[in-house]
Formats: sequence, structure tokens, C-alpha cells
Amino acid sequence: MKKIMVGNHAVSWGVMLARAQVISAYPITPQTTIVEELSVLCADGRLKAIFIPVESEHSAMACCIGAAAAGVRTFTATSSQGLALMHEMLHWASGARLPIVMANVNRSLGSPWNIWGEQTDSLSQRDTGWLQLYCESNQEVLDTVIQAFKIAEEVRLPVMLVLDAFFLSHTAEPVEIPEQSLVDDFLPPYRPEFRLDPAEAHSFGCLTPPEYFMEFRYKIQQSMIQSQGVTQRTDEEFGRAFGRKYGLIEPYKCEGADLVLVTSGTIASTARVVVDALREKRRKVGMVKVRLFRPFPKEELWAVLRDAKKVAVVDRNVSFGVGGIFAHEIRAAFCNEKERPPIYSYIAGLGGRDVTPQVLNDAVYQTYKRPQPEEQSIWVGMRSS
Amino acid sequence: MAEQIIFKREEDLPYQPVSLASMTWNKTGSWRYLRPRFENKIPPCNEGCPAGQDIEGAMVLMGKGKVLEAWELLKEENPFPGVCGRVCFHPCESSCNRKDFDEAVSINALERFLADAASKQGRRLRREREKRKGKIAIVGSGPAGLTCAYHLARMGYGVMIFEALPVLGGMLRVGIPDYRLPKKVLEEEIDQILDLGVKAEINVRLGQDFLLSDLAEYQAVFLAMGNHRSKSMGIPGEEAPGIMSGVEFLRNVNLGKEVVLGKRVAVIGGGNTAFDAARCALRLGAKPFILYRRTREEMPAFPGEIAEAEEEAIEISYLVSPVRLIAENGRISQLECVKNRLGPADEDGRRRPVEIKGSNFFLEVDRVISAIGEEADLSALPKKVGIKENAVLTDERGATKQKGVFAGGDITHQPRTVVHAIGSGKRAAIFIDCFLKGIQWQGLFEAIRIGERGSLSMKRYLQGENERAEMSSKTVHFKDLNLDYFDYKKRKKMPKAQPSKRLGSFAEVNLGFSEEVAVEETGRCFNCGVCNLCDNCYIFCPDVAILKQGEEQANIVDYDHCKGCGICVQECPRDAMAMEEEQK
Repeated sequence: MKKIMVGNHAVSWGVMLARAQVISAYPITPQTTIVEELSVLCADGRLKAIFIPVESEHSAMACCIGAAAAGVRTFTATSSQGLALMHEMLHWASGARLPIVMANVNRSLGSPWNIWGEQTDSLSQRDTGWLQLYCESNQEVLDTVIQAFKIAEEVRLPVMLVLDAFFLSHTAEPVEIPEQSLVDDFLPPYRPEFRLDPAEAHSFGCLTPPEYFMEFRYKIQQSMIQSQGVTQRTDEEFGRAFGRKYGLIEPYKCEGADLVLVTSGTIASTARVVVDALREKRRKVGMVKVRLFRPFPKEELWAVLRDAKKVAVVDRNVSFGVGGIFAHEIRAAFCNEKERPPIYSYIAGLGGRDVTPQVLNDAVYQTYKRPQPEEQSIWVGMRSS
Repeated sequence: MAEQIIFKREEDLPYQPVSLASMTWNKTGSWRYLRPRFENKIPPCNEGCPAGQDIEGAMVLMGKGKVLEAWELLKEENPFPGVCGRVCFHPCESSCNRKDFDEAVSINALERFLADAASKQGRRLRREREKRKGKIAIVGSGPAGLTCAYHLARMGYGVMIFEALPVLGGMLRVGIPDYRLPKKVLEEEIDQILDLGVKAEINVRLGQDFLLSDLAEYQAVFLAMGNHRSKSMGIPGEEAPGIMSGVEFLRNVNLGKEVVLGKRVAVIGGGNTAFDAARCALRLGAKPFILYRRTREEMPAFPGEIAEAEEEAIEISYLVSPVRLIAENGRISQLECVKNRLGPADEDGRRRPVEIKGSNFFLEVDRVISAIGEEADLSALPKKVGIKENAVLTDERGATKQKGVFAGGDITHQPRTVVHAIGSGKRAAIFIDCFLKGIQWQGLFEAIRIGERGSLSMKRYLQGENERAEMSSKTVHFKDLNLDYFDYKKRKKMPKAQPSKRLGSFAEVNLGFSEEVAVEETGRCFNCGVCNLCDNCYIFCPDVAILKQGEEQANIVDYDHCKGCGICVQECPRDAMAMEEEQK
């Protein structure tokens, strides 16, 4: 069945199909309609879940942590300031090894106030021990919700799926709604090894002295590394069951490309159009969409980018003092390779500014023009240019 | 207790930070630096009651429908809940923390409800203590004298009361009119005192029928003759017929004597006596009006009395002083008055009236009732008792300078109210007991006082040193409460007789609460400082270190696991917990 729906509702419907049992969330633009739709689905019985309204995102995550520890499938959604407010609880969720799934609608952080799309909110949480998957379409959003629960419950780590404010959250597209029975086959009920149960008492997350703490951290790192393969396998399984798969990264017309654009989220859609136009002009340009950001899919990227002459990364985010975060990650990932392409870094589209084909063309043009990358990221689509 | 598990290798640890067995070996209470504990404190109403009643305790019992037990609890301290529930100026309510939240709990009306309910059920007090040697004489049967008699009789002493008037009750009987305090209510509570074996002789006046020295056969004497003499206005013409003091007028009305009033009755004064006199005159068919030399702001009468007089359309003229009475044909006919303005404040902080020269005017009057204040008549007392400014001097026990002679009520230096008189009678009973037993009384105050405002607990006194539970000396104030747990709720108002129905009738004006309303009103009590098992501590403790015992049993702190975070103390709505430093 196909339905026209906005990205936020695709999240809600994914959660319904995944049969989440506890949902706790606090509304924030542009995430609000995810929660509204979920509360409707809970209220009319289509989703048999307990919906816990709370007074803050911090509490929302705390509720999810409690519920997940009790052994149920748990979901929340937030954005921007709300995600920032959850920060300490994000560490707790991964440290406690709870497979919570969260949708974050990318939005910039104030000050100044801005409610529009930018990835800096979720990227600020990259060290919290959550997997991060960046989506490009409403269909991918719905499918990724279902995949996320399966990955999370296997690797016992929380998963954050990310979608762009308004470009996805509030834009309607046709979305194929998978059959519930197929989803049930794909995603069996959650059965944790430990759960809060008075009949079998365990102490959860109690004070752990230096003699043991490092071992628990080591286990998280191992699971995070392992999760890359799990994500890959889950996506393939999903593909077999539903006919759609997304990969950890998605290369587009990279064969024989001398310049490859790297980007994520909805900018990838624009980039496809730009690549098509440039290919028509016989420019050997390709594009890679990065879907999995944590753990960082170095091998997959290396396989695609190693033969390029130049790589241009377009970041809708900024780490002040460094520059574009994806570019920085790719540079770091490749630094031990002897022969590696130069990585050009561009910052575009902050605070919801449109990243138009002209902006991407500008990045391509500048990459061709400069013999080597500048020290600093180049800001494109600025008012002065 | 479970054993601690030691993990040797990383692979042995679970993937999740979860204990694989019970953690009870880990006594996390050892990390504690601060220690919470349950500590009941003093509710401000109890502290504010000069009679020392356990008001909060009575509220709890009443809330559970235990009306008679609540009444008995009040009676432990005060023989007159029926009287006080009607005429007390209820400092408990002005001390009530709830007044800073919305409105004070209607304690006074609830006290009356308890007394009326006990009366309806014919409830009597039991005499519990064995008879004791020792006889005590009490001079005066007002609230101070009767209260002292009551407590001494309950302790087992023989008590003899000497009363100058033909009735018992003092000002309660002859000073307060029926519509405020029906005789039946007073008589019932006096009868309960007499039932304890208290003897009384009426129509015997100190100084006239006997002297203090005649009481040598008694081991102790309590003087409580009250203030029954009106102060004179000190103006020309005061001796003319048709002029009467408020005290005299009220006494005559209360004793059922015929009083001739005429139509226009001027009542001079702004105290309770003036208002009682005016309202009685109204009920006797006169048209009374009140003349007061200052403004309503400075009036000493209880606000309730003033309001009720206004409801009854009694005219009150402010800033007016009488300067001369004019008689015609041997009868009073005119009152010459002068207008005042307010000058600077005098010693008691009230602004002094200053005469406006040449503002004299004349009022036609048939009668003048002067009620500008009462004073004691101490002419019959020997000097060695100790008298200053026409009041008997007493120490903190209520003892006079003469050994074995105690004094209380209006003849001593204390606020002239019924409830202060009751408090002084109880205090005298306690220290007469100490005196007769030869008990060291210094240091006793710490053990039996309720807060810092002079109220004493008879219950604690009778418990004796060994039975007496540890009591906090801290009174709970508004700032000590956690208001998040209280909802706004309007105070219940007592129904009153329609003003039009009050004319020509001495029937009671205030009509009392129904049981339903009374129980609902007790629900407004914050139970300041006293645990009522609301279980907030239990609910909020993050370490599950508050342990519940059985039904109605106090919660306890599990110090093996309490880390001293203090959340229980913070979330206690009523400050019934305390935090102290851990003694390591």
C-alpha cells in the first residue's frame, strides 16, 4: 500500500509497524508531528503502546531508559535543543546497553533562534555511543525505523535515525507501507537477557569502580565496531524482504569519476541532479551519500573514494574551529593511507538555507579550480558570494 | 547476605552493567554524611493556643471520624472547648500557616463542633486519678479558676471554689450574652468540672465574707477574681441616674434581672464589653449606638463582634468622646460630646485621640452605658501578695509573693482574654501540684512547653519524666512547608442567623458546622510538623531506603542504604523530617 505522507508521519508509521511498546517524548518543532501522530495511533489503538507525556526531553529519555531496562521496545523523537537537553541521558542509554530508537529531526541550535534544518544537533552527539543513520527520503525514514530496532536489539546499543527539518519532516511524498506481517517476520519481539524484574533481582547501572569500568567501555566499542556489519546485514535482509535497501553509504555514478562529491541527507538528492547535469557535460563527477555516520564506514568510503582525484565534502554542519564534520571524519579515516585523494571541505545550508544546484556547482567548480584544499572549510552559498 | 562476585577477565563480565546476583552485601548507607530522620515538630496552632490544646492532633482524629476522641484530646488541656469554640479570639487561626496560603483553617468552629458533638452524645469525662491528700482553695469561678479546679481535681486533689456572685462562671456567665455563649453550653462544661468532685460556694466575696487569712486550712490558694469593676469615665454628671457601666448592665441582663433602657442608648467604648452591651440593648428593644474615641483601626473589640454589630445595623460613631452628661428632672437627657482627630501613637502603638477644640455637640439619650474598660478590685488582698499597677504580680509559674498563693486570669499581668485565663489556670494547677509535692519546678518548662509563646502541655506534664517522648522545640513556619503538595481550598464559613431574626432574641447567632462540613474543613489542615503518613518520603526515596511498616505505623529510615541525599526531607510537605550531620 502506498500512502502520501510527510517524513514525520513516516517515522510514526515505522514505529507503529515496529510495534514499539513504550513511547515517551516532548514536543519540539520540527519533530512535533511525529509525536502527535504517535499519540493518535496509541489513542485509537492501532499501536498498542504506553505513551508517556513528560515535562522535558531529559525526562523523555529517562522514561525510555527505564522502560527499555524493563525489557520493552522503546521509542522517542526530538530535535535540536531537545536533543541537547537529553545529552547526559544519551550516554546513559548506551552505557546501560539499552536498544532505544530515536528519531532526531535535524535542526540548528540557538542562539540565535532558528527552527530550520542543520545537522549540528545530532553530530554534537556523535560520542554518546549511539549509532547514527542519516536519511534522504520519507521512504528511507520509514524503512530505517524498522531496521533501527533490529540493529539496536542485536548489538544492544541505541540507534538514532536522522532526517532533515522541513525538507523531509514536513514534505509529503508517496511512501510504500510494508505489510505488518512481513515486518513482524523481519523484526521479532524484543527479548533481552536482563530486565528489571522483581522476581529476578539485578542491580542496574550501579556504581562501578575503576577495576571494572574500562571493561564495560571496551565492550561498547567492540559492539559499535560489530554494529557496522550488523547494519549492513540488516539492510540486506530488509532488501530481500521488502525490495528496498540503502547500504551504509550510497555511491552514485562514481565509476571512473575524478571528482566525487560526498554529502548526506536531502542534499544528496540535489547532488544527484547536479551530477547528472555535469555528466551530461562530460565532467567525470560522482557522488556518495553517507547514510551511516556512527560507526563511521571507513572501508566502504575508501573503496569508493580511493581512486578519485579529488573529493569534495559538503557539510550542512560545522564544528567551530575545525569546519565541516563529515569532511573532518573522512580526512581522519584516510590519514593512514599512503596514496589518498585530497579532501576539499565545504560548508553549506546552515540554519535551513537552501542548498541549490548552484551552490553544489560552486563547490564542484572551486574543487576543480584549486590545485589543493584550503586549510579551512570553504563556506558556499553565502550572501556575499 | 549475598557474596560479592569477583570477575577475573573482561569476557566474564556481562555485556550490560548489571549485577549477576544480589547486591545486598553493599551497604551504601556507609557513604552517608547527612542523616535524615523523622522528627515531629510543633504545629503553629498548638503553639499559638494559650490553653495549649493539641489542635493538630484533634484535626487528625476528626478527619478519621473519631469525633469523641478528638474532643477528649482537647479536654486533656482545656475544660472549655464548647466555650472557646464560641468566644475565643482564636490566636490558633492567626498562627495557622494556611492563612499565608489561602485562608486559615476554621479551627475555632471545629472546636465548637467537637464540643457540641460530645454534648449531643452525652459524653462525660472519667475521673482517672486516685484521690490525693491536699486541698486547694480557688477564689473566683471564671475561666481561670474553673480551669485550675478542673486540672487539680483530675490530679486527685480536693478543690473548693469561693464565688462572690450567685452563679459560677465569672465573666463567661455574667459578661458574655447568650447569643454568643448560650448558658446551657457553659453550664454543661461547668457541670463536668463539678462532676470531678470540685466543691463550690456561691455568694461569698473575698474581703466581705472572708479574708485570705481565713483559708489557712488549704495547702494552696489560687486567686482569680477577674476584672469586674468598670473604669470611670471621669466626666461631669457621671453620677446621674440612667448611667450604668457595661459590666453591670451585662451582669444584670445575664442574671435575668429587669433592666429599664428607654429608646436611645449611648454605649461608650470600643471593646468587647461595649459591643456586647450594645447588642444586648438592641435585643431588649432599644436603639443603641456606639461612641468610640478613635477609629475602627484602633478598636480593641474582636473583628467578628464588630462585623456582627454592623450586620445588626448598630450605628458606630468614631472619633467621638463624651465630655459631659446632662440630666433633666433627675433623668439623663443629653450627652455632650466632642470630636477628635488622631494624634501620634501612644505606648501601645495605637494613635491617640486629640480633641478638636470647639467641636462640641449634643446627643439626645435615654441611657448611657459606659464600657471604656474593666479593672480588678484588689482592695481585699494583703500587700504581701504583691500588687503592682492594680494587678497581682506573679512569677513564670503563676505564684505570687506569698508562699502557696497563686494567681491567674484578668487580675494578673496578661492579655485579658478567656483563653489566656484558661492557660493561666492550667499553669497554676501544674505548679500548685509541684508545690504540694515539693517538686523542683525549674527546668520543667523545657519538657512541657509547646513552642516559645508560653503554652504548656498538661498531657506531657502528667506523663512524667520517663514516659515523656522526646519533643522538638522547633515550630513549623510557613517557609518550612513544601507547598507543592497542597491545593487551594476555600475556608468553610459557619452559618449565621439572619440579622433580621436576631432582634428581640438572645438565641445564638452562630449556628455551627454540620459533621460533613466539619470533616471537610479538617481536610484543609496542613498537619504542620506532624507525619500523617502521606508517604512522600517513601515515594521519592531514590534508594528505596524508607521502609513502610504496617497500617498506621510510622515509616522508618533504612540507614543501611540511605545515602543521605535529603530528598525525603525536601519532599516532606509538612516539615516532619529533619536532617543532621552524620556522627562518624
